[in-house]
Amino acid sequence: MRIVDPIGTSAAAERALAPRPRSLEGVTIALLDNSKPNAGMLLERVGALLTVRSGARAVRAWSKPGASTGAAPAVIEEIAAAARVALTASAD
Amino acid sequence: MVLGTDEFIPLARAQVAARGLPGLPVVTVPHPIGGIPAATVAAKAGPIVESVLRALTSDPAAASQEASAVADDVEAPDDLDRFQAWLMDRGWGDGLPAIPPTRKRVGAMLAGTRRRPDETVTLLVPRLGRATVEAIAANAVMAGALPEHLPVVLAAVEAVADASFNLQAVQTTTHPCSPLVIVNGAIAGRLAMNAGGNVFGQGTRANAAIGRALRLTLQNVGGARPGKEDRATQGQPGKYAYCVAENEAASPWEPLSVERGFTEGDSTVTVCGSEGPHNINDHGSTTPEGIVTTVAGTAAIAGSNNIYLGGEPLIVLGPEHAATAASSGWSKEDFKRAVWERARMPLARLAPENIERFAAIYPEGFKDRPPETLAPIARDWRDVMVIVAGGAGKHSAFIPTFGSTRSVTRRIAD
Repeated sequence: MRIVDPIGTSAAAERALAPRPRSLEGVTIALLDNSKPNAGMLLERVGALLTVRSGARAVRAWSKPGASTGAAPAVIEEIAAAARVALTASAD
Repeated sequence: MVLGTDEFIPLARAQVAARGLPGLPVVTVPHPIGGIPAATVAAKAGPIVESVLRALTSDPAAASQEASAVADDVEAPDDLDRFQAWLMDRGWGDGLPAIPPTRKRVGAMLAGTRRRPDETVTLLVPRLGRATVEAIAANAVMAGALPEHLPVVLAAVEAVADASFNLQAVQTTTHPCSPLVIVNGAIAGRLAMNAGGNVFGQGTRANAAIGRALRLTLQNVGGARPGKEDRATQGQPGKYAYCVAENEAASPWEPLSVERGFTEGDSTVTVCGSEGPHNINDHGSTTPEGIVTTVAGTAAIAGSNNIYLGGEPLIVLGPEHAATAASSGWSKEDFKRAVWERARMPLARLAPENIERFAAIYPEGFKDRPPETLAPIARDWRDVMVIVAGGAGKHSAFIPTFGSTRSVTRRIAD
């Protein structure tokens, strides 16, 4: 039998991602803490190790206002202006 | 790129896909990172540095074609038993048998509304699924709903999509919340909804089918599949169906819909991001103060989201408790104020690590406070919700919420 699709379609429009730098040498790395316990700690540690490993210029951290709320658009714009690459977190 | 724990991979992937960035790299560490010593967290960083570096310096896959707005029908097994297995394999079921949403059945369901089948009622996160009237009707058929139930389901879907409800978090959190649907007004009687005995229990088709239709819509159109994007640690039985009518006839007070600005009799639906109900047994009290003491003693608990995130904990008074609470002329407002003033958690009864965490999230309530400080169950007495439901007997229920969510009331279209 044929049935009506119970999931329907998604409005998620695919967007192109920015090209990545060939290396992180001299690059500023952004960290966006999702405000879950210890996420900032893990991100900072990864950022520090990455800087040593890759010769990145600096690591700057931002955070979301709470674990269950999104980052403010102004914060996203700030990150885009200040850093070449960004790491964020999703987990507990 | 996204850094997560291995347990949260499905949610991270769904999230980047819904943002239109399915090619965004996700790197994981072993779960968990919360609630473990700092040195253990730090030790998880070393082994992933090379993967993170590779993800940040390699171009991701190019974007593919945009998805179509119209869903095609799907070929499913004719045999009803095989259909159940097929549905579960696709991740579209809740474990209970479902009615196949054939064109004919969905067509009959659509007779329950004047809205066009292709109208998009709202988009549902995390998938950003288009909740068309037809897609909702298909889930209502699967749930065993009748056409006359559909307007309630449509209003509930609209309500959960209101920004203040924070559906993204309610759908994906580890917390056991699920939308509790509260129906007020004339429609509850027309649909023979249960507002009386065993109100949260089994036995009434409208309650069961409306609650289940909303759940299936959220799971399927919203893309919150259990164990995948829905990250609930334990969940709760209300995730099958969680729908009641307020017992307006047995309430000494104005119904919830009237508190929300509607006229008595207007048909409304209210959704709350709720935990399961916890019983409040009080066979002794004969005064409002007595009922308040028992309700407050049940509501002041250490493990509730509301204590540090705020939000609107709900008290569902059984009619006999409500009658006692309203004796001596107490209004609903009097009752809310009294419960809020009495339901307090001494900081001395909270774990020190938790106080530290609460202080980071809500400094006004928890930072540098002495242990004798009494934390309320909500930020303001007006945030305490009260409805009356149930039948004969001396029981009520306390229902905390996810916290970062506000209840939403919508009128149900005729």
